[in-house]
Amino acid sequence: MNTIQSVIELFQSRQSMFWTLVWEHIHMSLLALLCAVFIAIPLGIYLSRKTKIAEPIIGIAAVLQTIPSLALLGFMILLLNKIGTLPAVVALAVYALLPVLRNTYTGIKEVDPAIIEAATGMGMSSFRRLRKIELPMAMPIIMAGIRTSMVLIVGTATLAALISAGGLGDFIMTGIDRADNAYILLGAIPAALLALCFDIILRIVEKTSQGKSLFPIGAVLTASFLVVAAPLISFDQESDIIIGGKLGAEPEIIANMYKYLIEDETDLQVSVESGFGSTDAAFNALSVDEIDIYPEFTGTAMSALLEKTPESGSTETEVYTQARQGMANEYNMAYLEPMKFNNTYAIAMREQHAQELGIQTISDMEPYTDELTAGFTFEFADREDGYPGIQDVYGFSFETVETMDAGLRTRAVETGEVDFIDAYFTDADMVEYNLRVLEDDKNLFPPYQGAPLMKQKTLDKHPRLENILNQLSGKITNEDMQQMNYMVDYNDTDPSIVARDYLTENGFFE
Amino acid sequence: MITFENISKEFPDGTKAVRQFTTTIQKGELFVLIGPSGCGKTTTLKMINRLIAPTNGTIYIEGVDINNWNKQALRWNIGYVLQQIALFPTMTIAENISVVPDMVNWSKKEISERVDELLRMVDLDPATYRSRKPVELSGGQQQRVGVLRALAADPNILIMDEPFSALDPLTREQLQRDVKELQSRIQKTIVFVTHDMDEAMALGDRICMMNEGKIVQIGTPAEITRNPVNQFVKDFIGNRTNEWESPVKDIMDPYSDYIVNINELLQLSLQNEPVYVIDNESYFLGRKQGHEVMEHNITLSPDMSLNQSIYYFDVIDVDVLPVLENNTLVGTMSYKNIVSYMKSTTMDTKRKGEI
Repeated sequence: MNTIQSVIELFQSRQSMFWTLVWEHIHMSLLALLCAVFIAIPLGIYLSRKTKIAEPIIGIAAVLQTIPSLALLGFMILLLNKIGTLPAVVALAVYALLPVLRNTYTGIKEVDPAIIEAATGMGMSSFRRLRKIELPMAMPIIMAGIRTSMVLIVGTATLAALISAGGLGDFIMTGIDRADNAYILLGAIPAALLALCFDIILRIVEKTSQGKSLFPIGAVLTASFLVVAAPLISFDQESDIIIGGKLGAEPEIIANMYKYLIEDETDLQVSVESGFGSTDAAFNALSVDEIDIYPEFTGTAMSALLEKTPESGSTETEVYTQARQGMANEYNMAYLEPMKFNNTYAIAMREQHAQELGIQTISDMEPYTDELTAGFTFEFADREDGYPGIQDVYGFSFETVETMDAGLRTRAVETGEVDFIDAYFTDADMVEYNLRVLEDDKNLFPPYQGAPLMKQKTLDKHPRLENILNQLSGKITNEDMQQMNYMVDYNDTDPSIVARDYLTENGFFE
Repeated sequence: MITFENISKEFPDGTKAVRQFTTTIQKGELFVLIGPSGCGKTTTLKMINRLIAPTNGTIYIEGVDINNWNKQALRWNIGYVLQQIALFPTMTIAENISVVPDMVNWSKKEISERVDELLRMVDLDPATYRSRKPVELSGGQQQRVGVLRALAADPNILIMDEPFSALDPLTREQLQRDVKELQSRIQKTIVFVTHDMDEAMALGDRICMMNEGKIVQIGTPAEITRNPVNQFVKDFIGNRTNEWESPVKDIMDPYSDYIVNINELLQLSLQNEPVYVIDNESYFLGRKQGHEVMEHNITLSPDMSLNQSIYYFDVIDVDVLPVLENNTLVGTMSYKNIVSYMKSTTMDTKRKGEI
């Protein structure tokens, strides 16, 4: 009951965003479906005439479908040098190819050979036979394939949020990130309803067009084209600079600060594209010029992008200097000065639990490696300065390690499903859930300070950016950041408002 | 007129389906191809509308090599009826029938009238059946529509590939009658494939017996039953006899009571029953009239077929006629003889059918 109420409240407060996302979702899904249909049906027809090559090609389509959808989305960014709707639509279309292709082929192939012979024997040309006999007879099977693809697309499109394509997935990702069911449901329920709705429309079209009337099919096609074409006309507004940001409250707040600062001092049009699912996704987007700037942590730049391990005990300045040189040498990128807060990794336990066991530092955990269950993010479990680093530097590993999404582990530790988690220093959860941060007594975790990362050529083009963004250098303390994150994650304040308020209160606009 | 000239067909797997097939099918004739399965009859049929291309030889229609025709135009002029019926399930009955007229660009009105005309021809009410789908029809009705579909654009030739073999016996007989009647009315050249000898006998103007891709015998049903060329044909037609083709000598009574010697003439009554008179050498003298012998010209010969002989009974008002061989009376044949002969042969056929 409570959940439903909070979903309704959320819907009311986020109504305009909701409709935008629904529209994006429909737009993306229809475009992908149309692409899939317009490729797969002619291809299926062609294959039904060339049986010899049919099996290998359908096999390829089947292999494409076995690629995990998330991987396919990521792969498309690299392949197309773009983020957002285009790679999402291409990935979804590729994904939806198989059901339509296979059903078109099978539908035509399964027409009784005697019927084919009758048609041929009566003097129909191959094309006329296709149009008059084979396609009408295969139509129910083809439509079933289209419906399967459609449901697949509408569902998978929620993942497109991870590559900044928008859609209802934005709500779901936010919900997972903040462990907020209301957001998840506000994304998931409409997505499911959308799939259902499309299915019903397609069924009606199929029924009413049975036999020969092509009118309903034509009507639906026209409507789809209109939907697909609409945003091309209205949203065609280029920004001069696009600021990117990873998934979560903090990157989005920082990205918005950049935007306000740049817009305050220049005439440049700035937009924010946040919600990248991982460091790789954001960095790829930067590499292919889909975004121009994004805040990256110094520690991440070192370990994940340059694949260097900062020496234990390195100071914040040493790590930043090393990272800046590395980014300049290896990628020809400019890495401006970092802010003050250090959102390093931390190992966190429930305060009460830590007291019971008498654990204050990471080294204190050594006697309990068999009993304590770890809850790590996928990234932490894999990073040099993450779990493998703990094994190296502290010399012990844990018996049971659960990996999960970042948004879920706080809840997991709160309910006791896991005993400790990796966390970010500035996480709002630390405040909300009363978690104790264990001291990194061997200085494993390098400093993680946010700083703007961009291509050198972007800076060359807009040299003023350096001074503008360096205004934040050394600003924003850990407490400030925690407070702002809390505002977004728990008070559901819009990140851009939080960003603007901070800048206003601290006198950046003058 | 369809002419096959040295037609052979060898399939890629090496099967020789048809070998050196040469014959001519006359215009307006119902020509039946018959033989055991695998004898090449269907292959031969499908070469007429170029569904199968012969490996060797040429087929001419009206003297023109069929390869000189546009393939589709050729097929529009050859109605095709399939064993599987194969009506187009997504189309209505009317649409099924109008497939070929539509392709040869008849006007909508012409097509519509033609559909009604054809449906009425086989007693299917157009108002009821036009807009039905094939599945709503019985098997017999479906194949009737199948035949109409083949006839729709008024082709000169109709080819039928075991069209009635999937139907129950009653429906089959009905459709056979329909086809026979249709053919006498519209005079199409029909090539008809079957494996059922009864059907061939009932329908065929001429029958072509095939075995292992070759023609074994071609002839009218009567010729084939009376003079099968070899054991294969005999076996295929079985002991089937067309009773009407039987010669008079098989039916007549050689020791008939209707024959008297001239010397016994005076001892008989004066009644005017038909009694035939012979001398001591069995020489035929004439018919008894009172105590006289009267000249009698209406006689049968032993080799005459029953079919022919019965007309002689119409000429003169008697129930029995004399059978003469070189003016010697060899027997008489009466209505009673005919009836008992028919009865015995029918019993034979029935017993065979049960075996």
